[in-house]
Amino acid sequence: MVRLSGPATRVASLIPATTEWLFALGAGPAVVGRTAWCDYPAEAADVTDLGNGITPNIEAILAVQPDLVLLYHSAGNRTAASRLRDLGVPVLLLRTDRLEDLDRQLTLLGRALGRVAAADSLRAAVAAGLERARAAPAANPPSLFILAWDQPPMTLGRGSFLTEIVELAGARNLFADVASSSATISIEAVVARDPDFVLLTSRDSVPAFAARPEWRVVPAVRDRRFVRVHGSEFNRPGPRTPAAVATLRRALAEAMR
Amino acid sequence: MTRAAWPLTIGFVLVAMALGLSVGATSLPLGSVWQALGDASAPGAAIVRELRLPRVLLAFSVGGALGVSGAALQALIRNPLADPYLLGLSGGAGLGAVSAMALALPLVWGVPAAAFVGALGAVALVYRLSVVAGRRLDPRVLLLAGVIVGAFAGAIMTTIITLSTAEQLRNAFLWLLGGFSAASWESVWIFVGYALLPLGVLLAQARPLDLLTIGDEPAQTLGVDVERLKRIVLLCTSLLTAAGVAVCGIIGFVGLVVPHALRGLVGPLHRRLLPAVFLAGGGFLVLADAAARTVVRPVELPVGVVTALIGVPLFALLLRRSLR
Repeated sequence: MVRLSGPATRVASLIPATTEWLFALGAGPAVVGRTAWCDYPAEAADVTDLGNGITPNIEAILAVQPDLVLLYHSAGNRTAASRLRDLGVPVLLLRTDRLEDLDRQLTLLGRALGRVAAADSLRAAVAAGLERARAAPAANPPSLFILAWDQPPMTLGRGSFLTEIVELAGARNLFADVASSSATISIEAVVARDPDFVLLTSRDSVPAFAARPEWRVVPAVRDRRFVRVHGSEFNRPGPRTPAAVATLRRALAEAMR
Repeated sequence: MTRAAWPLTIGFVLVAMALGLSVGATSLPLGSVWQALGDASAPGAAIVRELRLPRVLLAFSVGGALGVSGAALQALIRNPLADPYLLGLSGGAGLGAVSAMALALPLVWGVPAAAFVGALGAVALVYRLSVVAGRRLDPRVLLLAGVIVGAFAGAIMTTIITLSTAEQLRNAFLWLLGGFSAASWESVWIFVGYALLPLGVLLAQARPLDLLTIGDEPAQTLGVDVERLKRIVLLCTSLLTAAGVAVCGIIGFVGLVVPHALRGLVGPLHRRLLPAVFLAGGGFLVLADAAARTVVRPVELPVGVVTALIGVPLFALLLRRSLR
């Protein structure tokens, strides 16, 4: 339970997703601290960088004199949150992993910043955007192998946000049965499941792994059936989620042509 | 020596190999594995020939090399607790490999070479520490120094990984847990290229290593150049550890458990022990890897976790039996 005496005016936002929401709510000027990963919107670059946000630096947070601190809901952050609360600084612990966390996030942020109406209209706008961007459910959606890393071979499972984007774009994650957000798998498992496409999230134009003989056993790699997207909108739910879905849908349509 | 020792060891290796080739994301019956090995157009041939065969061969040769390193170091230190991990070699090699990744050196030569430099650096430091302590290559001081140097290398490794934001390094952490999921023919050739010579040299030291077990001075009187032998063993085990770390990360317990188990079977003479440990160590790691890729499929467990899960209870059992 968090009690604020009034709308927050100095917010330390230690989650990249909440930084995006705050700017989208028009509360950008109230953001006095961010993480090193907060790369959107561009104005966020002018806000004080408080570190990587994984192990919050309490002293750095106190130095920007926040009247509200937003932390990601993790075990390590709960300890930091109780210390901050002991020091009299209100803290909101938020989950920002999946689309379903979006409603609660916006409601809480709207209330905390005294922008309930803006939060409501933003929520409606994002929902409408998603409805426009998403693909109609298909009986036999194409399968995407999400290549998170090639050595060791790693993919993203059901717990990841990208899996949701993939599903909204009208495809299915080849490893949706893996519960964790990321996992090491064998190339052989990829061969056995024979994906329609490989989803690449790196910026490299020519993926080096695709030339390696062990990867060429995967038919989709051999035939270069690649779908490529990159950008932070693909790893955190936020105001750009409808755009991310639309981008992936376009890339997928191009690959299927 | 038990008469059945060799048939047992070789049978174990064959069973491990057959299992390693037939289980995985999809299980293949032995018949199709055999067919795929001979015929590149057989169903499942690409899986067997490009993915499983290199993986099994890599696990086998790395396991064998780790086993031989452990046995040689144990003879050197005259302590069954010695292995590349405890003596700080693995830590040094890991630090070298992570530094090479941070500098984006090529995987083919940059990472193995840096791992070797790291392992040698760790050995040199361990050596210096034990000299400073006034007891040249005293087993206990060496082990202590090894543990300290290993911890120090681990701290530097964690620092490098923490400070870097590069994707490659965050994954270096995972890679260091050990695993063969990215095994390829290239990694087999890299490992064999680096490991063949030191392995041959170590196997040739069987007789002097036997003499060393009765003590430095008796060995010296019997014509062994003890200091030279120790340097050879440290150099070769560093090379082997580095080659292993470079292709599959840090894997513990093989060098500790396998020689211990094999001494009961083939006896303490290194002429027999070293080849037997090579075979059994290889078979052990092939089995551990087969478990790593099937227990929670399609997800892979780090193989170092499996060797520890099997190795620790086995070691405890053997320890109990040898004390009885």
